[in-house]
Amino acid sequence: MFVKERNMPHLLFAGPPGTGKTTAAHALAHDLYGEDYRMYMLELNASDERGIDVIRTKVKEFARSKLPANIPFKIVLLDEADNMTADAQQALRRLMEMYVEVTRFILIANYPSKIIEPIQSRCAVFRFVPLKKEDVIARLKWICDQEKVKCDEDALEAIYEISEGDMRRSINILQSSAALGEVTVANVYKVVGLAHPREVREMIRTALQGNFLKARDMLRNLMATYGLSGTDIVKQMHREIFSSELDIPEPARIDIADYIGEIQFRIVEGADDEIQLNTLLARIAMLGKSLRRKQK
Amino acid sequence: MPRLPWVIKYRPKRVDDVVNQSEAKAVALKWIKSWVAGNPVKKAALFNGPPGCGKTSLVEALANEFGYELIEMNASDYRRATDIERIAKVAATQRGLTGRGKLILLDEVDGLSRLADEGAIQAILDLIKITKNPVVMTANNAWEQKLKPIRDASLMVNFRRLTKTDVKRVLRRICELERIQCDEDAINFIAERAEGDLRSAINDLEAVAEGFGRVTLKICKAVLRYRDRVYAPYEVVRKIFISKYAWQARQAASQTDLSPDELMQWINENLPLQITDPEDLWRAYEKLSRADVFFGRIVRSGSWDLLPYAIELMTAGVALSIVNDPKARYKWVKYQFPQKILLMSRTKEMRQLRERVAEVIGRHILASKRKVKNDVLPYIKIIFDRNPEYAARLAAGLNLDEHMIKYLSPQNAATISKMAAEIWRETAKEALKKHAQPAKEVREEARLPEEQQGIKGGVAEKKLRRRKKRKEIKGKGLDAFFKK
Repeated sequence: MFVKERNMPHLLFAGPPGTGKTTAAHALAHDLYGEDYRMYMLELNASDERGIDVIRTKVKEFARSKLPANIPFKIVLLDEADNMTADAQQALRRLMEMYVEVTRFILIANYPSKIIEPIQSRCAVFRFVPLKKEDVIARLKWICDQEKVKCDEDALEAIYEISEGDMRRSINILQSSAALGEVTVANVYKVVGLAHPREVREMIRTALQGNFLKARDMLRNLMATYGLSGTDIVKQMHREIFSSELDIPEPARIDIADYIGEIQFRIVEGADDEIQLNTLLARIAMLGKSLRRKQK
Repeated sequence: MPRLPWVIKYRPKRVDDVVNQSEAKAVALKWIKSWVAGNPVKKAALFNGPPGCGKTSLVEALANEFGYELIEMNASDYRRATDIERIAKVAATQRGLTGRGKLILLDEVDGLSRLADEGAIQAILDLIKITKNPVVMTANNAWEQKLKPIRDASLMVNFRRLTKTDVKRVLRRICELERIQCDEDAINFIAERAEGDLRSAINDLEAVAEGFGRVTLKICKAVLRYRDRVYAPYEVVRKIFISKYAWQARQAASQTDLSPDELMQWINENLPLQITDPEDLWRAYEKLSRADVFFGRIVRSGSWDLLPYAIELMTAGVALSIVNDPKARYKWVKYQFPQKILLMSRTKEMRQLRERVAEVIGRHILASKRKVKNDVLPYIKIIFDRNPEYAARLAAGLNLDEHMIKYLSPQNAATISKMAAEIWRETAKEALKKHAQPAKEVREEARLPEEQQGIKGGVAEKKLRRRKKRKEIKGKGLDAFFKK
């Protein structure tokens, strides 16, 4: 519709990862401008610096620049906009007003609530929902046909279950499984096991057994080799703490989850991820000791 | 009574006891006498010299000998102009309750330039102008540009680096007084490493003597690994852990020129080596964690006046967490250099590679580096580790260089690079064929090398696929919207 009218409001695409928000934005621009659409679009994602200074300089420069004759407006695409600071968003809001004649903004976010109200109210909000199972599986099957890869129906279902409707993740898993030969349930689980380090669970287990120093070494390994940030690890630990593979009394799981939340908060507030995670491991080691004492 | 560190225990009481530095002593004595006589030429003196050469010792000896009450400020006490104004002005304009004059010591003023705002320098100049008491400042390098106004306003007193003979003489005397068995070649070793820094030499001697009861060359070589600090870091760490009172731990923290965050790394590294009781360990880490939160606030807001809280938590907070197993604090531990600092330099190259790989892939799949690192790289790594042939096609398509391939799979790097090069050659051949085509297309090819040449690697194919997928998903997105 936007393409046909050659007009559109500011847009906010919101929804969980892997539901096609960025892809939709690019497709829209492509349909508007054709093959060279990137010439008329300023694209900034979380890898790019986009604090308040960048908004006031780079984005402003682009937004106010003259419009080429053949296009109705330029597009500023801000991916992962929910990672922008409130200050930067405030600066953005002004630009959205001032240069609306020549520039439209597309904001993309997982959590629309992290986008300040005044921006939300200036945008048409599109909610992206997790993809349906049959859609994901049909897509994966289609890719397998194109790539001439053998695949089991069960395996594709397994991929969907694991990726929780996240298309990017689904295709990642599919491609890695295919690289192992063919897409079978066994290969899918093998790939997921390899990609999501069992080390996280092992680390928790080691701490519970009271071997803090070894757990700390494992933590360092995770951060160094996998390049995971403190927040990534905390989130994975949070997932693992409810795993049946770990032998912990149920109430203790909640206590640890509570403390994990506290540590995640401190990682955001603090300066050094490792110190915060060490604190978490020390807490788990202490819990392990009291559990062993009770068993005796 | 708490045991005093030897550097304090053996501090010179009188000016004569200060080792060497006859010229500096003469100048300083003349200056302080002019104050006593009531007509000082210059109100402030700037003691300039390398670490551990006796600057602070001479100040203390002067105060002691001429009956001044010493008012001391460390660099950590004054990071802002207001700190200096508040404390020092009061001290400088009033006589003490005892009626004794005061000697104001501003330690390490050269630290100011890197720590604090310009305001601090001006505050010191104001202080010198109004003071009714002698002011001594110390600096390791007074010749910094920023200190010029202070140099102009003060009497410069230059200290020399102590000689090895000077250092050895003091070490021998301490060994005698402490009744420590000490080999001459060990003394020589310690004095050699100290490079004229008597304070660090005494600290080294104490570290070895305390830990082993005797001082031999072999032990010295094994224990004394670090030499680039005024106070060896492991010594400071030991002093912090051993503290039973908050002031001891705080004092220990002030006796290092490790930066506060480096000190935090030293404590983080060695905490679990010293403390093994799980409850004590967690308590200590909880304090360190709080200290780190303060650091985060300091870094983000620039409010350096929060620094004392961070330092107290990570020193005294940690030391006083040792409750269940109080003997643990005396355990002799071979401290480690912080792995984080080592790792940061060792893995720097790898981290940069990871960033570059994530950037390349991110460009292709329209995602940020962070997303690629978290969601995509683990899967790509599996392909590179398990299926070199497939990996080679990806590598050629994504235009990855050898280093990037090596990052993704160290063990298969050679094979993959070779195969990718093969694919490149074939693509080049095809490109050569295309030269027959009209010039316009060739130009386009030059502009889009990745897409054109990546045919073999499946990029063009993928792009097509992606485009189709995009359209389809866009449809879904809009559907979802209208359903809503």
